[in-house]
Amino acid sequence: MIKSYKARRVLANTFIYILLGGLGLIWISPLAYLVMHSFRGGKAELATTIIPQEWTLDNYAKVFNPPDPNVINFPQWFLNTFIIAIFSCMISTLAVLMVSYAFSRLRFKARKPLINVGMILGMFPGFMTMIAIYYLMKAMGLISMPKVALIICYSAGAGLGYQISKGFFDTIPRALDEAATIDGATRNQIFWKIILPMSKPILVYTVLTSFIGPWTDFILAKIIVGAQGPEHYTVAIGLQKLVGQEYKAQHFREFLAGSVIVAVPITALFLFMQRYYVEGVTAGGVKG
Amino acid sequence: MKFIDYVQLNPFQKFWYNFKNFFIALPGNLKKFFCAIGRFFKKLFVGIGKGVAGYFTRFVKGDWATKLSYIIMGFGNMMKGQIIKGCLFLAVEVAFIAFMIGFGADKIYNLGFFNNGKIGFIEKGQWTRNAVTGAREYTKADDSMQLLLYGVMTLIIIAVFLVVYFASTKAAYKVQQQVAAGEKPQTFNEEIRQFGDEKFHITLLAFPCLTISIFTIMPLLFMILIAFTNYTQTTPFFQWVGLQTFADVFQTTGGASKGETFIELTKWTLIWAVFATVLNYILGMVVALMINKKGIKLKALWRTLFVVTVAVPQFVSLLLMQQMLEGNQFGAINQMLEAFGWLPVKDGAVQYFDFLGNANKWIPRITVIVVNIWVGIPYTILITSGILMNIPADLYESATIDGAGPVKSFFSITLPYMLFVTTPYLITSFIGNINNFNVIYLLVGEQNSIDLHNAGYTDLLVTWLFRMSTSTGEYNLAAAVGILVFIVCATVSLMTFNLTKSAKNEEEFS
Amino acid sequence: MKKFLALLLAVLMLGSILVACGGNDNKGGSSSSGGSGGSSDDGDPFHGEDNIKLLVWAADKAIDVTKELCDEFKAKYPDKKIDITVQVQGEGDAAAQVLNDPEAAADVFSFACDQLTRLMNRETLAPVFEKDDVVARNSEASVAAATVGDELYAFPETGDNGYYLVYDKSVVSDEDAKTLEGIFEACRKAGRKFVLDAGNGFFACLFPFTGGLSLEGIDEDGTQKFNDYDEEKIVDTLVAFSKLFHDYSDIFLSSEATKISTGMAANPRIVAAGVDGSWNAAAVADALGDDFGAAKLPTINVNGTDEQIVSMHGYKLIGVNNSSKFPEASQLLADFLTDEEAQLKRAEVLSWGPSNTNAVKDKAVTDNVALSAILDQSQYSVPQVNITDTFWSPMGTLGNDLWKKDQNRDQLKAEFEKTIANIKDE
Repeated sequence: MIKSYKARRVLANTFIYILLGGLGLIWISPLAYLVMHSFRGGKAELATTIIPQEWTLDNYAKVFNPPDPNVINFPQWFLNTFIIAIFSCMISTLAVLMVSYAFSRLRFKARKPLINVGMILGMFPGFMTMIAIYYLMKAMGLISMPKVALIICYSAGAGLGYQISKGFFDTIPRALDEAATIDGATRNQIFWKIILPMSKPILVYTVLTSFIGPWTDFILAKIIVGAQGPEHYTVAIGLQKLVGQEYKAQHFREFLAGSVIVAVPITALFLFMQRYYVEGVTAGGVKG
Repeated sequence: MKFIDYVQLNPFQKFWYNFKNFFIALPGNLKKFFCAIGRFFKKLFVGIGKGVAGYFTRFVKGDWATKLSYIIMGFGNMMKGQIIKGCLFLAVEVAFIAFMIGFGADKIYNLGFFNNGKIGFIEKGQWTRNAVTGAREYTKADDSMQLLLYGVMTLIIIAVFLVVYFASTKAAYKVQQQVAAGEKPQTFNEEIRQFGDEKFHITLLAFPCLTISIFTIMPLLFMILIAFTNYTQTTPFFQWVGLQTFADVFQTTGGASKGETFIELTKWTLIWAVFATVLNYILGMVVALMINKKGIKLKALWRTLFVVTVAVPQFVSLLLMQQMLEGNQFGAINQMLEAFGWLPVKDGAVQYFDFLGNANKWIPRITVIVVNIWVGIPYTILITSGILMNIPADLYESATIDGAGPVKSFFSITLPYMLFVTTPYLITSFIGNINNFNVIYLLVGEQNSIDLHNAGYTDLLVTWLFRMSTSTGEYNLAAAVGILVFIVCATVSLMTFNLTKSAKNEEEFS
Repeated sequence: MKKFLALLLAVLMLGSILVACGGNDNKGGSSSSGGSGGSSDDGDPFHGEDNIKLLVWAADKAIDVTKELCDEFKAKYPDKKIDITVQVQGEGDAAAQVLNDPEAAADVFSFACDQLTRLMNRETLAPVFEKDDVVARNSEASVAAATVGDELYAFPETGDNGYYLVYDKSVVSDEDAKTLEGIFEACRKAGRKFVLDAGNGFFACLFPFTGGLSLEGIDEDGTQKFNDYDEEKIVDTLVAFSKLFHDYSDIFLSSEATKISTGMAANPRIVAAGVDGSWNAAAVADALGDDFGAAKLPTINVNGTDEQIVSMHGYKLIGVNNSSKFPEASQLLADFLTDEEAQLKRAEVLSWGPSNTNAVKDKAVTDNVALSAILDQSQYSVPQVNITDTFWSPMGTLGNDLWKKDQNRDQLKAEFEKTIANIKDE
């Protein structure tokens, strides 16, 4: 009996290993394809075979040290995006934490209505407002300062992403706050000295998601930065340009190489922080 | 059924019980939903009425300083020693009046109240010659877009000012009462200090609320207004047209009419949202269970394999997917199928499979759903892994003893438990899928079908909206569709959200 | 006092926005300066404009040439203080950016002529002030492509924004390349592909055009007008195309034009011929080397007669922004950037085909295989002008259905009628 149970378990586990292996292969294959073809040599710009026939580092060389900065100015784009990501991530994180803390721990008359407003705003498709945001930025004279405009774009609405971290704060026992209040701490002090230090997972989660945003958005960014020269682009706009009709026949491999360069640090960051990310999102996702 | 009966049910029955109840309760909940809307408006109007009544009562009961505060804001506070507060009120009033004279009044005037609903006055630009220099000069048509934006801003400022104005009359009366009761009016410093404690929520929320109001709510209001104009980016000058735009969306005459397209795309959007949400949820959970199963080694490796896909920007990964799925010998997947000899051969020519082609409307639709599984499962794994570990192990053990296989225990234990805990997440991801632009647009691009107006069979309402604004500049239609998408989302989520236990028992867990 | 600070902040912030925008909201459009300059000099082509600051948008490939030309322009008027900034803006994007926000856009910019109608309706293009010379020196079709009503709205810059046949000479002989049937047969012998982006409206319109469809401007209510076409003949042509694509389904490949250069550069070569756009000429020539062949589009056999395939042919134009603060200087610069010399320079450096009637005959143009092929094809083409936005996607759908669906004559006829109805948005 015991033996057969064991045998069954081994069989089940083998089956799961095979399944996981197969699925893992499927999941990783587009990324493997991306990396492989970013090293592809030869004359053909697009892929003609699954495994490249020739290998080269030229694509990366052309990305790091672009022969014509009017077409590809990757180092500059990378720097732009990095600056935008850093600032918008700091502002967004602060905003998210403030909003979610207020909604989770404090009780005031406008709380429920504000939560509802937040939910309602999330239901409108974001693209609807992009042209209006452009006009608004123009009215504020920010179009000629595309970095500032983009930082504002990415962080202004960040407070609306409070759900997950509100869920996280909800799981911290309220007895802590009460004890601190009895000891004479103000709510301001409770926020900074007690709650924040306990919030590492959700902090990491928020920082990570808001840091990644600017690297992947190419629609709003294009509208805001469009009228400026390529030296103001973010990586997403720049790379997206390379797969447009005018450029694809000559620059597709540079697009792949650039994409790998963008993906690697984000992936590393993500894997490094994965534990906190999971903790934060689990706690927050349940309560939402 | 009493609670005691409910607790004794096995999880499987519990799930069905809840499931059944959801649909039984649906009509009642719809009624409740509409009643709630009614109540909301009732409350709103009563509130406004009370506010106005209070405004006059306070005027009658106020002393001369309070009365004067109705014209000179902050006067009452200043007279009673709250100098800084009073000055701030006064500064707001002065700033507002200066703003209205210098800028605002003109913007309101331009909004179309005085020109048959036309926003602005100069309808067409004109070139003239300067009489002195002979140089040509251009008189521009009024840019209605800009005028409308300024008009909306001005209206918002007026609204904000009115709120401050009411608050100031209230403050003046309050300080009058305090003095009358022999209390000492609060000093400015004391009031400031409150923002660190009792009024800490104001300190926390002020900045985010401000930015959200300016950069999210105002553009939204503005675009909602655009839906009631004939703005199509092809003319700088436009006017109010009432509900005409919505009538256009539903118009069903002609070849590929917008009305039919709207209905077709709405159906597909809902089908897509259901499949995308449910499949990602269930399959993601299955994978997470496999990874977390006792005895499976290299858990970190397996999880990483799936999770790295989250970190690669979608405009890269989906574009590559598109290339891999191409319906000819350039597509990697077709190359692979060909190498395995799995493709049909007709007249000596290999028939490549067109995954994203639009000859048949269901093939590309199934493809995008499958690709979306690739996109979505890693997220589900991230979210559910932790929760799955929390399911008490003895539940499974007793199920195994009762002879339940893995499939049965998944449906009778795991799924009901998870549904119970993660309903808010499910609703959010359902809404997210209705608005899921990336997967469709980046994967399929701009396909078209002969029966649809500027859309293909895989287009969701949200990609249709995007295409209308970029390719043909029909911003008014896009805005109208956006409002309709909102209505769909709001209905779905309000119907379900009111029912979820986790929403109701928010306080219980804390 | 509640929310007081927040509200105050809101008011101040909004107020500051509005004050800030008050600055550039010069109502009544007193945007042109120079008026105050006062000196009324009849001989001054700038009509008194001085201290001129211009922004020029050019495609990245053309940026160096444009900069050189701008320097020459400055040198031509040494007594004026002219400051020109040349900025990169992809041609595909320029028009979209101008439409989005004319005020932030360049004074002088280059765009493809299919955007003319939209740009004009949005009132972003200044008419050409002195048009006689421009009309005289450029080809009739290119002038027509820049004209709406009686006004010329832009300066023709190039005459080669179209597509033509490219082929691998080692597979398809020059003789084969004359007929579509010949090309397909040659391709089949070599087991290689013929690529045409049938799902793209820009290419797909060649199917009905070959049958005699043509564009006749736009109605007042914004509806596309067509010529008085013979529907039966168009349907016959569509049937011929559809039959050919199905007969040679192992050869015919409908995919983006980029596949042509890629398929020719692959080892072994996959593609032998294709209909490619002028913007990809360099990549194809590079892939094929000595085997590079280019010609006008072939003929197709419709019910026994060989019909020349008719393409859509576009022009790049240079427009002057209505919002320009220096309209006279902008016009002079646009004129300078599109005169014979400038067009020749582009032909030499960039292999861009001219629209200037003299420049077309220049050796730099006639020696260039691709350029002469495309200019040759332009004789058999419908100018890409006065097209509604609703034109492209129904055309692309028609093109796709020609090869994807197995339709008989009646079905194709119904589909064609539906396509026209969709374009007219009826």
